[in-house]
Amino acid sequence: MEQLALVQGDDAEAWAADAVLTIVGRPQRRVEGAAKVTGRARYTHDIRLPGTLHARILRSPHPRARVRHVDASRALALAGVRGVLHRFNTPKTAFRGEETIFREEVRFVGDEVAAVAADTEAIAEAALSLIVVDYEVLPHVVDLEEAIDAASPRIDEKGNVLDADRYERGDVRKEFAAADVVVEGTYRTSTQLHNSLETHGAVAVWDGDQLTVYESTQHVFGVREGLRNALHLPLANIRVLCDHMGGGFGSKGGIGKYTIVAALFAREIGAPVRCVLDRHEENVAAGNRSATLQRVRAAGKDGRITAIAHESWSNVGQARWVADPTGPTKGLYDVPNVLAHAHRVLTNTGSLAAFRAPGYVEGTFALESAIDELADGMGVDPLALRRRHAGSQVDPVSKMRYSLKRLVDCYDIGAEEIGWSRRARGGLRGSAPGLRRGLGMASQLWSGGGTPPAYATVHLNPDGTAVVRIGTQDIGTGTRTVIAQVCAEELGIDVRGVRVEIGDTDAPYAPISAGSLTVASITPAVRLAAKDAREQLLDVASGVLEVGRAELRVEGGAVVSRGARTPIAKVFEDLENYTVIGKGSRMPNPDDIVLKTFGAHFAEVEVDPATGMVVVERVVAVHDVGRIVDPLTARSQVEGGVIQALGFALSEERVVDKPTGRVLTSGLETYKVPTVRDVPRIVVRFVDVPDTVANNVGAKGLGEPPIIPAAAAVANAVANGLGVRIRHLPLTPRRVLDALAAAS
Amino acid sequence: MKPFTYVRATSVAEASRMVVAGSAPLAGGTDLLGLMKGGIASPARLVDLGGIDGLNGWSRERGAGLRIGALTPLVDLETSDQLARHLPIVREALRDTATLQLRNAGTVGGNLLQRNRCWYFRDAAIQCWLKGGTQCFAKEGENEHHAIIGTARGCNRVAPSDLAPALIAHDARVTLTSTRGTRSVLLADLFTDPALHSREEHTLRRGEILTEVQVPESGLQRRGTYLKAMERKTWSFALVSVAVAARIRGGKLRDPRIVLGGVAPVPWRVEAAEAEIDGHPFSDDLARRAADLLLADAAPLAKNGYKVPLAKELVRRALARIAAA
Repeated sequence: MEQLALVQGDDAEAWAADAVLTIVGRPQRRVEGAAKVTGRARYTHDIRLPGTLHARILRSPHPRARVRHVDASRALALAGVRGVLHRFNTPKTAFRGEETIFREEVRFVGDEVAAVAADTEAIAEAALSLIVVDYEVLPHVVDLEEAIDAASPRIDEKGNVLDADRYERGDVRKEFAAADVVVEGTYRTSTQLHNSLETHGAVAVWDGDQLTVYESTQHVFGVREGLRNALHLPLANIRVLCDHMGGGFGSKGGIGKYTIVAALFAREIGAPVRCVLDRHEENVAAGNRSATLQRVRAAGKDGRITAIAHESWSNVGQARWVADPTGPTKGLYDVPNVLAHAHRVLTNTGSLAAFRAPGYVEGTFALESAIDELADGMGVDPLALRRRHAGSQVDPVSKMRYSLKRLVDCYDIGAEEIGWSRRARGGLRGSAPGLRRGLGMASQLWSGGGTPPAYATVHLNPDGTAVVRIGTQDIGTGTRTVIAQVCAEELGIDVRGVRVEIGDTDAPYAPISAGSLTVASITPAVRLAAKDAREQLLDVASGVLEVGRAELRVEGGAVVSRGARTPIAKVFEDLENYTVIGKGSRMPNPDDIVLKTFGAHFAEVEVDPATGMVVVERVVAVHDVGRIVDPLTARSQVEGGVIQALGFALSEERVVDKPTGRVLTSGLETYKVPTVRDVPRIVVRFVDVPDTVANNVGAKGLGEPPIIPAAAAVANAVANGLGVRIRHLPLTPRRVLDALAAAS
Repeated sequence: MKPFTYVRATSVAEASRMVVAGSAPLAGGTDLLGLMKGGIASPARLVDLGGIDGLNGWSRERGAGLRIGALTPLVDLETSDQLARHLPIVREALRDTATLQLRNAGTVGGNLLQRNRCWYFRDAAIQCWLKGGTQCFAKEGENEHHAIIGTARGCNRVAPSDLAPALIAHDARVTLTSTRGTRSVLLADLFTDPALHSREEHTLRRGEILTEVQVPESGLQRRGTYLKAMERKTWSFALVSVAVAARIRGGKLRDPRIVLGGVAPVPWRVEAAEAEIDGHPFSDDLARRAADLLLADAAPLAKNGYKVPLAKELVRRALARIAAA
């Protein structure tokens, strides 16, 4: 796909691998850390404007029904209720391809039916139960495999199973016929819920025809665009703000129905309106990682993988897209014959939302399990088998070269660190009689090269401090900190002298904080803006100091020439409020080179075959993501990804009751995210070689990579330890015991 | 949550008078508030027991057994080294109970009287048998956490408390006080079986306040241990738990108790299983026979068959542990 990008100016030379950098690449404490730990950091949930009203949403109790009539008269009669919105009184408001936020046919338990605005949340909540809805209940199906079954109710006129994507290279059929070894497995993954600590929500307020929305979002500009489409406002009339944010993991990519509810009520009533979801709503109606059913066949001949066929079915709820699990199968290994076929399956459950490496986490589990099964079948060490297909510097899909690929380095570092040479077929003895110990590993492929457009400005103040403005947002990952580092590095000032202004659509555009895009998209623009500011400063300094421009440089907050140091404040002293404004934009990516990130995780587990308990003792996570801007933040990112993957691998599972369509695990007690005690030792390592082809900072994204291979590595370690492969995540004691019972 | 009023009782007698229909006693509140937020309980009035003197703390008088006040925070029992010398099973059971925050707030009485965790029961939109409906939704539904035994009627819940099996294994009794007087019952009899057609989980009568737990001297002479299987390492109710206790004389198990949690609507005991091992030295085979008897009537549902081997293995390990100690 051709990319069009409008850019200004020229790019800077990328910082070389041996460039001496004083701030970038060194551990930096979070610039917002103190605000967060002292409670001063303001999140969307904290926004309480004077006179704020509270909106709550009435949700369908049926998995599928037609809304025939809504009687809100009793709700409206309740003291403190200010308004009710439902499908019969709400203007058309475009939302994700539909023209209304209140569907005629509600399609899952939790689908939006009506909303109430009231003086307090409690009144709004009480009013919900006074709304009388006449439903015509329709046949439904919530389970992925039941939805695939032709005998189940069809919930869409095109059927429940829709083709999503088909890919083929080489001749898979021929290679299967010619293979020495063929393995085939059916793999299942469960629906994972994001459970961002801050639930989805928005606060809307109008000042005349100016709309301001505070939203917990990964993309303030995406929310602005959504509001423009829904409310038909000029962009100049919409401002979206997101100061601090309590996680999104992909699920907060644009507006929600709650945003539109808040904006409509705020306009109609003339008061600020806050609409935030509670934990249960979050877990039924705010997105999820699709459950999948995957079939993988893999063929080997003469010690090599010759063909892989991967077919997948994903429970997308009602979504119009699928998080294709076959991406890693197509691109991770240099295998000549590949067939990949993804299906989107509709059910009457809450729709998927992007979830940290959507598709890749699920797909990597199936693919990497199958590779291990093939290695076992061929009698080859699974890491050795992967090595034979991991060294190629050409992307097998596009046939173009990678800008940088150090996957084999990741293998070397990880194997050494975990002690891979100890691995034995059939596992090792555990720490007590009866326990089994296993080692497993898996590889990671993801993009992460970033993208234009992104723009930044750097205002250099007369005292030598600076303000960076860029319309990105810090979703909890440390974006503010890496912006400050890159700006300070390029400008030659102390990182504490940089204030980072983000989370505001009145700042220059930046892309969504998702898909591991952020660092590689925005830091090159920040660097150019800082460079522009530095050059303007040097122009001024040259005049003020009467020294040739070429002899000057900025270092440690001072203009330096031949040993003489003039603090920036001194340079500007007589110029009053002269302000340098540097501008920078993200330059296009090279169009004949592929930018990817790679990595490998190694896991050591202990399994108790008599109780089904799996204990992950250690995960070694090695990533090849270009330059590491802040080792501290990068490490946090990897630890978080591994922990989220361990939840997916061992304990997290949305359970839906088939007859009623209700999510039985909508609370944090029943939906089991890992606790501190479940977290193993996580060893984080980076190849840390800058990708100087990718962009002028040499960094790539690290949001997705650490969640991608961990579950697969654990599953492979469990299979190694037990001698029995469990092809269904999460690996709860029940699944382990059932699998062992079936195997014996 | 429905609006409610709040009063604070200063004596057991006063609390008992206040706990009339529509009122609920409040101790730590860690379960009750969740039930109220979830729309499962909607008392018009909460009667806070926190102001009543004399119900917090434990004591041991030689020859008179151990007494534990019902308002004692779980964390106090868990962290008391002295109590751990008298009755170590309490610490073992509490260490894996809920979370530290919940153990700070939760009380002994509240732990014993907590409602079950069935996800159908906990969903206000589902009118299950226990809540007055006609069917158990778990029976044909999502039942991996449900009962495998003792489910004669329409309810497949499991007893959630960690403390209950542990204390029952040491023959604990509870004191129940109301305006009508005070009675003492075996802790095991505090729990009521759906087989008895009761849509209650406890045998507490209206107005009765659980004031104290007693462990008799004979119970203290048993050596006990508690094992719990969980889906994560903390904040997880038992998939299966087991409390065993016995006097060990000459290497033989005497007067043993085996009590399972997480498998039946009540803490599960089978006297025949205990009789099978009484007077015998531990062996894997002996433990297996006891576990088989304990679970002889098990009738797992579609998704909880794993609990049978899991329970048997935990019984074996627990017995091995007390025999070896």
